Amino acid sequence: MFQPTRRGFVVGCSTAIASLAGSRFNSFAFAQGGGNGGAVNDEILVVLFLRGGQDGLNLIVPTGGASNDRQHYELARPNLRVPLSGAGAALPLGTLGATTFGMHPGAAPLHELFQDGKLSIVTACGMAANERSHFDSMNWMELGTPGVSNITNGWLTRHFQSADNLPSEIIMPSLAVGGTQTISLLASYDTINLSSVDSFSLSTGPWAWRSPQRTALRHLYASGTSFLHQTGLQALDAVDIIELYASGAYTPANGAVYPQTWFGENLRTIAQMTKLDLGLRVATLDLGGWDTHENQGNAGGGMYAGLVEELAQGLGALYTDLDGAGAANYTQRLTVVVMSEFGRRVFENADSGTDHGHGNNMLVLSGNATGGLHGTWPGLADAQLNDGDVEVTTDFRRVLSEILIRRLGNPHLGTVFPGYQAYSPIGVVSGVDLPPIGADLFTDGFESGDPGHWSAVGS
Amino acid sequence: MRGRHPGATLERTSSEALTPPSMAVLALTRLAFGPTSAEIAAFDALGGSDLARLTAWVDQQLNPAAIADTACNARLAASGFSTLGKTLTQLFTDHHVADPEWYERIRPATETELATWTRAVYSKRQLFEVMVDFWHNHFNVYAWEFIEAPLWVHHDRDVIRANALGNFRQMLEAVVKSPAMLIYLDNYINFAAELDGDPVGSNENFAREMIELHCLGAENSHGNLPREQVPGYPNPTGYCQQDVVDVARALTGWTFAIDWVQWDCPEGLDNDGHFFYCEEMHDTLPKQVLGTTIPGGGTAASDGHAVLDRLASHPAAGRFIARKLCRRLVGDFPPQSLVDSAAALFTAQWQAPDQIRQVVRHIVLSNEFRTTWGEKVKRPFEIAASALRAGGANFPFTTFVADEDAVNSFHWYFEAGGQALFSWHPPNGYPDVRGAWQSANPRVALWRLVNWLVEEDGAGNDRFLDIVGATLASPARSATAIVDFWMPRIYGRALAGADRDELIDFMAAGHNPTFALPIDTNDWPDYTQDRLRTLVGLMFMSPEFLWR
Repeated sequence: MFQPTRRGFVVGCSTAIASLAGSRFNSFAFAQGGGNGGAVNDEILVVLFLRGGQDGLNLIVPTGGASNDRQHYELARPNLRVPLSGAGAALPLGTLGATTFGMHPGAAPLHELFQDGKLSIVTACGMAANERSHFDSMNWMELGTPGVSNITNGWLTRHFQSADNLPSEIIMPSLAVGGTQTISLLASYDTINLSSVDSFSLSTGPWAWRSPQRTALRHLYASGTSFLHQTGLQALDAVDIIELYASGAYTPANGAVYPQTWFGENLRTIAQMTKLDLGLRVATLDLGGWDTHENQGNAGGGMYAGLVEELAQGLGALYTDLDGAGAANYTQRLTVVVMSEFGRRVFENADSGTDHGHGNNMLVLSGNATGGLHGTWPGLADAQLNDGDVEVTTDFRRVLSEILIRRLGNPHLGTVFPGYQAYSPIGVVSGVDLPPIGADLFTDGFESGDPGHWSAVGS
Repeated sequence: MRGRHPGATLERTSSEALTPPSMAVLALTRLAFGPTSAEIAAFDALGGSDLARLTAWVDQQLNPAAIADTACNARLAASGFSTLGKTLTQLFTDHHVADPEWYERIRPATETELATWTRAVYSKRQLFEVMVDFWHNHFNVYAWEFIEAPLWVHHDRDVIRANALGNFRQMLEAVVKSPAMLIYLDNYINFAAELDGDPVGSNENFAREMIELHCLGAENSHGNLPREQVPGYPNPTGYCQQDVVDVARALTGWTFAIDWVQWDCPEGLDNDGHFFYCEEMHDTLPKQVLGTTIPGGGTAASDGHAVLDRLASHPAAGRFIARKLCRRLVGDFPPQSLVDSAAALFTAQWQAPDQIRQVVRHIVLSNEFRTTWGEKVKRPFEIAASALRAGGANFPFTTFVADEDAVNSFHWYFEAGGQALFSWHPPNGYPDVRGAWQSANPRVALWRLVNWLVEEDGAGNDRFLDIVGATLASPARSATAIVDFWMPRIYGRALAGADRDELIDFMAAGHNPTFALPIDTNDWPDYTQDRLRTLVGLMFMSPEFLWR
């Protein structure tokens, strides 16, 4: 069994990846704009999940109007309310229904984007399913199936499965920035999941044998077809791609300054990967810490205000960084959607915090946003509340579906959001309205008991 | 190179025929932090059949106090730890009230973390350590906070370890009263509503998570359904929002002595961290929990105890916890039959002092346990600990001494994998199913860690793992013999076929694989000792090492 050495074979399969580099340049030829029927779609969707239940009522704040919502808000939040004037006053947004709204003063960069018409705000979004558990709510939103946990892939995975306007090969179709892959990309086997570009390499072990070890490692993972073998190859491919294309320093454009936090780093990574022109279509990331049951603070400072500042500074930097001219005009292809598992209770609790609530806003930041306030504001009078919480008047899938159709040009709502009916656009982004296709195109991926499924109860 | 069609979902054959290893390896992989050669041999000497050996081993393991743990204890004693023996009051006083620098403040958490690693790798009470890890995650608390960290020795020792094989109801009460948990989920400031005229009142954070995550499972939530409409009422099969609110009200006044709550609780003036019932904070109005009325006028203690009894004895708690135990010990999708029988036992024995021990024994001696292999994959903690065990590591899990750099590097590599101990922020604990851990980031991070472990120390010697020394002490010299020497140590068995050939091919590096290699040298250009170390790293990185 004497076999020739493989020493000298350079790293992994980088030659194979290099052979795919052609598709890197195809992206320049992509048709601009989404929803162009048969044309290749080159839109980039970033999904930012605010973990813990963001207190939407203190981000998009009732400030007045013909309704009594400001009075209800002030009564419910004696300690936590964002004031109308003086230091920490809400930044004006406009009127929706009979209520005017302002933005938390810590969100100034987002307010600028709102004034430029790049930010659409949809109020009172969520799930009709009345669930105040963090974990069920997050699972259901990211799986895209409210009330159903035993589905085996995420809504973004099913978007890729059903979209028929993407090139046949893309080097980096999707990126999950963070410690593990988000549930919305569950069972997407070509997503690259990394938390830091710098430490995403096989750079340990005795130096002399790293390269042949890497080759042997690939052979060992290629020798089977199990879940473990396939995910191992996915990781090896990801290492090769990052090594080949993404090593080296990254300088944000246009003077963009990201927060000096993990969230800021993650946004930077997304911008960097976008500009590599490796075909990135979807990226996910998280900002956690929103479960503010105590001492959440008000507009004058504290935990909540700090998170709002980090959020707004980060999104502002991302938009600035990607807002170039010509081929660098990434914001014309960019849509960022910001969501959280639920809002928080209207009444603050005894500990100057807020408990789990229901309806919440979603933010849509895009070069193709229509801007403004959207949705149906349900009001804050007792009778208008859902057991003490903001009512849900817009299904979160409606917002996501509009982005899917108008920007990503994918009308296969029956596949992406099985069971979701009666879609109609709200008008948060511009684009072509394609008739939704309701029938599930694929039956694979919907089996229960699939080994990739990890959203099972209690996990 | 596979095609990278953006919508490709790869074929995912769950039923690829995996040949299970011996019962010793199977048990030591799932009920321990990985096999060692010595423990495989000890297991195999325990009886005349797989079931007899497994039964004998499990019964030993379920009586951990009777297992002499000399070597592990000696390591702990030599580690220079100073906080593991402190009482709750000492911990609170020395590490919180005294307001020391941050590294002294968190020292109880740091030392507990290092002791946990030490025990995972070196303790003979392996199943106990697996159960400690299970319960730490079931009752998850993020440790590295201002109050939690100083108290972490107490939480680990007196709350989790003291009850890990005992009675769930008793453990639940210890958890509720643990100051670390009281702070983490806010129950220490859970006041009766009327105290400050708040229209909503009590802080329901802990109550919700206790019902959902500790006891009944979200699958038994009926959301905002009125309680009378929950199926089965007045013996409801699950819970609703009204139950969450009333459990929160029943637990008002369960707090601990910290100066922040002194203004409400004169008893708390000691500021020494002890748990107490603060009647001034307690809501004495009537409550109803899962169909059971708790009359008005009760004390914090009587109301809270009634709630804990109701939850711990509810059949949904048995089903929820039995499923989690089966998921941990058997497979990601445990057979319903096993879950049902374990749940029935859990509920029937809810007052037995050894309830948990009985349920674990039932699960791990089942036919389902013995015939399941490869449904689970090791998570980062299990990869790292089992590599250290299989590699015969002499790793210095000590702190503030000479080897601090090594420990820091270890943690730096390990934490990138996303499972740093006691570091999961949300209250549901680290995911326990393989799909959560198989994306590129944790995989690459653990590859980096295990390959770092096999590096030499800069002076040409093995640093942590006894790789060159163990090989030199064996007769193995050819590439083939070396691979055949290491496979049983790392995998617990010999592989045949293409994977073995691949390893031999690597080790031979172009030489005839039956020729003796100069493993007593590490000279240019062959760097033979480094190649041997890299071979062991490759085996730790390979699929075979990761199955559970």
